[in-house]
Amino acid sequence: MWSYEKRLQFPVHITKTCPKTASLIISQFGGPDGELAASMRYLSQRYTMPCKEVSGLLTDIGTEELAHLEMICAIIYQLTKNMKVEEAKACGFDAYYVDHTSALWPTAAAGVPFNACEFQSKGDAITDLMEDLAAEQKARTTYDNLIRIIDDGEVRAPLKFLRAREIVHFQRFGEAMEKIKEKLDEKNFYYFNMEFDKQFVKG
Amino acid sequence: MDDRNTLLKEIGEVSFFLDDLRLYLDTHPLEEKAMDLYQQHHQKRMELLKSYADKFEPLTCHCIDLASNNSPDSDTRYAGRKHWTWSDGPIPWDTAANACHTAGILKGGA
Ligand SMILES: [Fe+2]
Repeated sequence: MWSYEKRLQFPVHITKTCPKTASLIISQFGGPDGELAASMRYLSQRYTMPCKEVSGLLTDIGTEELAHLEMICAIIYQLTKNMKVEEAKACGFDAYYVDHTSALWPTAAAGVPFNACEFQSKGDAITDLMEDLAAEQKARTTYDNLIRIIDDGEVRAPLKFLRAREIVHFQRFGEAMEKIKEKLDEKNFYYFNMEFDKQFVKG
Repeated sequence: MDDRNTLLKEIGEVSFFLDDLRLYLDTHPLEEKAMDLYQQHHQKRMELLKSYADKFEPLTCHCIDLASNNSPDSDTRYAGRKHWTWSDGPIPWDTAANACHTAGILKGGA
């Protein structure tokens, strides 16, 4: 169960229209390492996570990723809500415009539509947490790349905030991994699937 | 900065403090200092949300109070009258809802 709060986690206030910038940032909405994929990955993995604290962490981080998704969408919305057709044409945003006008639709920057394969819910606690650690770093790299390309301070501010959150999430997932390992016989960390082969989990 | 924006900024800051601390406590459930901080800031956030709802509009469904959220400062065409207040106020993803924070936060962030 979720309840909505009518504010963004970090303010997005962009006054300059720029569909080009929107076409790059949209990857953090519908791209392979975007916020939608992150949120759905964690919220899907949590059901079978064999450690209650880690399920709780997945719920909380998955929830925060939804707030990040909302910030990314706010950035794209503000960058494109007043765009002229000529502007869309000049920067190659015209293909997106034809299908979605200035509405939000999850796609990667290179034009690949959002794909549920990004969820990476394998049903093995160690595997899934490794995936989550990597996902946070991949998202951080994407933000690094965006921050290098984009000059507008009003766009950079929320991107810097989001980048910093990826680092915190990485840290917390690292701690979750240690917790999971405590429940395993140290000889079999990677030999068995503790989510399924429950006989290898300490009592 | 007017009263609405000052309050919104404070709510944003204290809420973020709690968002971050919540994740920390998820992996450090016995840390006294973190728990004390959580308790204090949670209290502060509840007070701020209540005063914002009384003065302007409710930000969460828990703040909807049809007897008290109808101040003349509400961002709605029914200001000052008893009405359904949940749709009052600026849309969160619009610049209007975020103008408040920019002066302080954007300078540090950009
Ligand atoms: Fe994250």
